[in-house]
Amino acid sequence: MTDLVRMERISKFYGRVQALEDVSFSVRQSEIVGLLGDNGAGKSTLIKVLSGAVPTTSGDIFIRGKKVDIRSTTDAIANGIETIYQDSALVTQLSIARNLFLGREPLIGPKVFNRMDHATMNKVASDLLRRVGITKNIPPTTPIAALSGGERQAVAIARAMHFDSDLIILDEPTNNLGVAETRGVLNFVRGARDSGHSCIFIAHNIHHVFQVVDRIVVLRRGKVVADDIDPKKSSIDEVELIITGMTDEELAGAPVH
Amino acid sequence: MAIANQTESRSQSVAADQRPLIRRLIAKPEFGPFVLLVIELAVFTAINPDFLSPLNISNTLVFTVELGLIALAMTLLMTAGEFDLSVGAVFGFSPIVMWTLFNQGVVSLPVGFVIAIVIAALIGMVNGLFVTRLKIPSFLVTLGMLLVVRGTALFVTDGFPQRTWNAGEQWIANVLVGDFYVGPFRIYMSLFWFIAAALIFWYILNQTKFGNWIQASGGNPNAARARGVNVNATKLALFMLCSSMAALAGIISSIRTSAANPNSGTGYELEVIAMVVIGGTALMGGRGTIVGTVLGVFILRVMRNGIVMIGVPGLAYNIFIGAIILGMMALHYGLERRHQSGT
Ligand SMILES: Nc1ncnc2c1ncn2[C@@H]1O[C@H](COP(=O)(O)OP(=O)(O)O)[C@@H](O)[C@H]1O
Ligand SMILES: [Mg+2]
Repeated sequence: MTDLVRMERISKFYGRVQALEDVSFSVRQSEIVGLLGDNGAGKSTLIKVLSGAVPTTSGDIFIRGKKVDIRSTTDAIANGIETIYQDSALVTQLSIARNLFLGREPLIGPKVFNRMDHATMNKVASDLLRRVGITKNIPPTTPIAALSGGERQAVAIARAMHFDSDLIILDEPTNNLGVAETRGVLNFVRGARDSGHSCIFIAHNIHHVFQVVDRIVVLRRGKVVADDIDPKKSSIDEVELIITGMTDEELAGAPVH
Repeated sequence: MAIANQTESRSQSVAADQRPLIRRLIAKPEFGPFVLLVIELAVFTAINPDFLSPLNISNTLVFTVELGLIALAMTLLMTAGEFDLSVGAVFGFSPIVMWTLFNQGVVSLPVGFVIAIVIAALIGMVNGLFVTRLKIPSFLVTLGMLLVVRGTALFVTDGFPQRTWNAGEQWIANVLVGDFYVGPFRIYMSLFWFIAAALIFWYILNQTKFGNWIQASGGNPNAARARGVNVNATKLALFMLCSSMAALAGIISSIRTSAANPNSGTGYELEVIAMVVIGGTALMGGRGTIVGTVLGVFILRVMRNGIVMIGVPGLAYNIFIGAIILGMMALHYGLERRHQSGT
């Protein structure tokens, strides 16, 4: 089986700072990949390249084996890659339903006087909110501004699921979230995988990563240092060692924190 | 947006807003302006009963709807996150174009009308291109355009008004501002153009895909772009609409008053923007209300007329207008904060 997304030998310079060096990285169908690495390891840069937010310096991206050119967020979305930011991908003044369908509004009525199909939009929105696990009764006409951080991400994930994004990228989605909200987001991610979507999941909290991912990839100073860690067969301690790049001996000699 | 919510919730079966109707009404951005307008009408009528006389109502309505046409278009533009300071200049310039072409025998009046509107649309297009392509704030672009357009109007006329007196025999004059009596009320055709524009723009903003794009372009242009919304085209279209409506209003006004003065419309841009924000449309975009703008238009025009009617010196007008703007902004921004905190 070919990978859903394969990034080959990606390098990225910000001026003279090399953020990525010859990184090869892939995601399979219905797989949640955890991307780990210290601050500044290049995680965000890697997914920004994939989501069209920054251009690469060199390297290729393949989707289902076909080479693609991703130059903008719009290109990425058109290629089925959806990135979920804490906030920025939603219009806070608009309702949940209007955000879900923004840019792909269902229309009814004759061509010239057509209007948005509010009934369909609201119904689909309600169903989706339930599917991503929002049990609270939130009307789909609620503006995004009235939602919590976790709920906003749920809306973004719901949108990605509805429009059949193949790959959903979450960069530190659990930052600034409470315990219950974090559990919610982890559930949305599992739900997305169970309905056939793939995910890239980046989180500071390694415990969160261990709870949801199928495979872990570790970046260190812009390079891949491990790309097939099975969270069921490895311990958190082992992975932490790989992230920091210290051997057991070095760690034993290093100042304890 | 509040109006949109209302329509949307009617068509959905799930999880309707369960707050009592009265509380939902109060939470709407249009509620404050509505109350203010009612208070104005009550106070002015109490002090001077002639305020509600057919003659005074007819007189107030005429000019109200002319400015109102611009305010309606400005509402859409401001919802998309931009505004246009050149509307007052276009208001003065467009009739000059039409009458100059007509008086010199170049074209018939209807053709002159079309040419004037097209030129206004082009002015809007230049505004829009500067804003969307060169990424210059609309404040600077349209301020520059204000000077260019007003300067052109003064230059081509040498500062003198244009002759307009044979407008009466023209069918287009009747279509635009023909008047007739309904009982004791003298009604001008422009009232119907205002009502039509209000209905159409309301429909566009709240019911159509383009309306969703307008709101998204003003609310979060980057997010909108990422979803495939053509933010630049949306704004460009609205700049063109705004200029065209300013031209239409200017021409209507010039036919009605039989005057095409290169200075007319001076200062209208601020009055129009004030009408829009008093109604509850956000200055920075993302949220707009046509109903609110209609209320805002009447609040300011009724105030101007009422102050004179009750004997306050007309020079005091701006004090009241300023106070209304400050009061309404305090209200709208207070509501917005409550909204954001989810109550
Ligand atoms: N916009 C930028 N300009 C310059 N350097 C950047 C920029 N973004 C990231 N970097 C640098 O690239 C490296 C990788 O950063 P990043 O991808 O954000 O890491 P991570 O998400 O793993 O913390 C860091 O050295 C960082 O300082
Ligand atoms: Mg990062």
